[in-house]
Amino acid sequence: MAERRAHGSGRYALGVAAAVVLLGISIIASLGVGSKALEPGQIIDSITGSGDDYVDAVLASRVPRTILGVIVGAALAVAGGVMQGVTRNPLADPGLFGINVGAAAAIVTGAAFFGTVASSSVWLALIGAVVAVIIVYALGSSRGQAGTTRIVLAGAVVTAVFSAYVQAISLSFPDVFDAYRFWVVGSLAGRSIEQAWLILPFIIVGLVLALGLAPGLNMLALGDDVATALGQRPVVVRLLSGASVAILAGAATAGVGPVLFVGLAVPHIARMFSGPDHRRLLPLCIALGPVLLLLSDVLGRVIARPDELMVGVMTAFVGAPALFIALRRLRGERR
Amino acid sequence: MTAHHRILRVGTRVSLRVHVRTLVVITCLVVAIIGLAVVTLALGDLGVSPLQLPAALFGDTGASSFVVQTLRGPRLLVAIGAGAAFGVSGSLFQRVTRNPLGSPDVIGLMAGASAGAVAFGILWPGVVPLPVGAVIGAIAAIALVYVSTGTGFASPGKLIIAGIGVQAIALSFVQFMLTRIKREQATVLATWLNGSLEARSLDDVGIILVVLGVFGTVALVLSRRLALVEMGDDIADGVGASASRTRTFAVLTAIVLAAGGVAVCGPVAFIALMAPHVARVVARSSSPVVAGLMGAMMLLFADVIVQFVPAPQQLPVGVVTALIGGIFLGGLLMSQWRKGAL
Repeated sequence: MAERRAHGSGRYALGVAAAVVLLGISIIASLGVGSKALEPGQIIDSITGSGDDYVDAVLASRVPRTILGVIVGAALAVAGGVMQGVTRNPLADPGLFGINVGAAAAIVTGAAFFGTVASSSVWLALIGAVVAVIIVYALGSSRGQAGTTRIVLAGAVVTAVFSAYVQAISLSFPDVFDAYRFWVVGSLAGRSIEQAWLILPFIIVGLVLALGLAPGLNMLALGDDVATALGQRPVVVRLLSGASVAILAGAATAGVGPVLFVGLAVPHIARMFSGPDHRRLLPLCIALGPVLLLLSDVLGRVIARPDELMVGVMTAFVGAPALFIALRRLRGERR
Repeated sequence: MTAHHRILRVGTRVSLRVHVRTLVVITCLVVAIIGLAVVTLALGDLGVSPLQLPAALFGDTGASSFVVQTLRGPRLLVAIGAGAAFGVSGSLFQRVTRNPLGSPDVIGLMAGASAGAVAFGILWPGVVPLPVGAVIGAIAAIALVYVSTGTGFASPGKLIIAGIGVQAIALSFVQFMLTRIKREQATVLATWLNGSLEARSLDDVGIILVVLGVFGTVALVLSRRLALVEMGDDIADGVGASASRTRTFAVLTAIVLAAGGVAVCGPVAFIALMAPHVARVVARSSSPVVAGLMGAMMLLFADVIVQFVPAPQQLPVGVVTALIGGIFLGGLLMSQWRKGAL
């Protein structure tokens, strides 16, 4: 990854300004677009308390998904940025890390053997995500240094084995399967506002941790030897990074189900404006992640009218091409 | 010609160069398959005791022949046929890509075939038959992987990552379709999507035997040409076995074989990855015959496990192969890293 260093402050300021404007637009679009379209004026009227009851009701149904979209988008994007930094692998994405399948395994286990409780399933998903991260990391770093594509490959292995378990459980228990098939597509629709408040504290903790790690991630990019010489402890940075990725992506997955590729694509877009400096990259991810997720969600509402395409389906179709483009850029490098 | 080869002659016209070790392995595999077949037919409450099998197979219209000819026979034959098709398909892919991970699972072919089958089964029913839909999906997936790596099938790491991307697209489509149908339908579809041998009919047997018969023969012919290609493109071109055309035909044959297997029993995971590997280690030969028999034996074995395991509902056979295959893939990746190939 030979990023050019010449990213001026001007370009970064432009990126931040554009991201904030886009964030505003996508929030308004998320509130306004749907089977009943609302004008921006109506939305503002309703927020200031002078809208009619019907508009209020429509808006109320779209507020939870918009809030969830913002916090989950930010969480996934930052998790992706941290992962790409710590593995020095531009293709890293929390979804490819086995986090989804870890959360899924925990959720079907809970549903099958302890009965599903909506609020406790978030906790279960988090635990599952953390366990998956630990296993993937252990596999990917055995016999030498973790990095490059190894983590992704380890993620593929863990995904294969855990999916077999998930399928075995969900097909053995019809009720579990019925809940699972709607969870696994990843959707912002039909979630309650309580779900957003439940995962918000985790995401805040994860974001703070990630931002605090930014200088350490910059050092890591120089190689372990240099980082050590400069007084960093690479192992500590890696462990804390793994923790922040697990918390962020685990909470996001617990909130809306597995959503792939947001964590992969957003850091790439952000890097065009921020350069490789994580102190600039990660904040930009916080703004741009929600933009991608909300716009995908809005697009899913528009293209399949009168039905909706779930956001997880949309991001797969939008995000996989981003993966292919990133892959092609690796031309010449041996991976 | 090494000391391990013998020339087998029938009269003066037909002669065959035989690898002794390969012959031994083939014999063992055939014996194992027959043994597992007897176990499959004789197992459980409805089972027919081995002594009664001949009578139940031929003639006799009693209960035991119903069990053998209608219930368990088709299931058994589909398992053997599809397992062999997956094994041969995987063997061709791994040789063409010169890549131990160049399996239909890893490069998204199986997921593409599932998506194709679902698309033409639920979204546009009746446009083309389901097996053709599976082939279309498989070809689309391979094309996408080929294009998106930027280097064709050359780099193992890129191949897998592109495969993960294609798989993500295909599976998210399949998962979306699963939310669109009734729960009972969805359960049936999900079972099939894991690879299932339950309730197979003689139609399925027909499909897989035709696919295997035609394209398995093609694979045998191509195997000799591939051996030349493996010595280098120039040598192959020199003796008139065009390297690039051989590769193209081999990939197409592999796609049809895998998609044929998917059409009759769903995307059973990892047989196509594992069978050629184990075959190569055991027989020290990359013969498609050994890989095919190994695939048949593995799928049959997994099916026996499924029928033994106590579960609230009988699990689809693909769950077992995914579990074993996932662990196998892990081991394989480890050994690749150690060799520095990744």
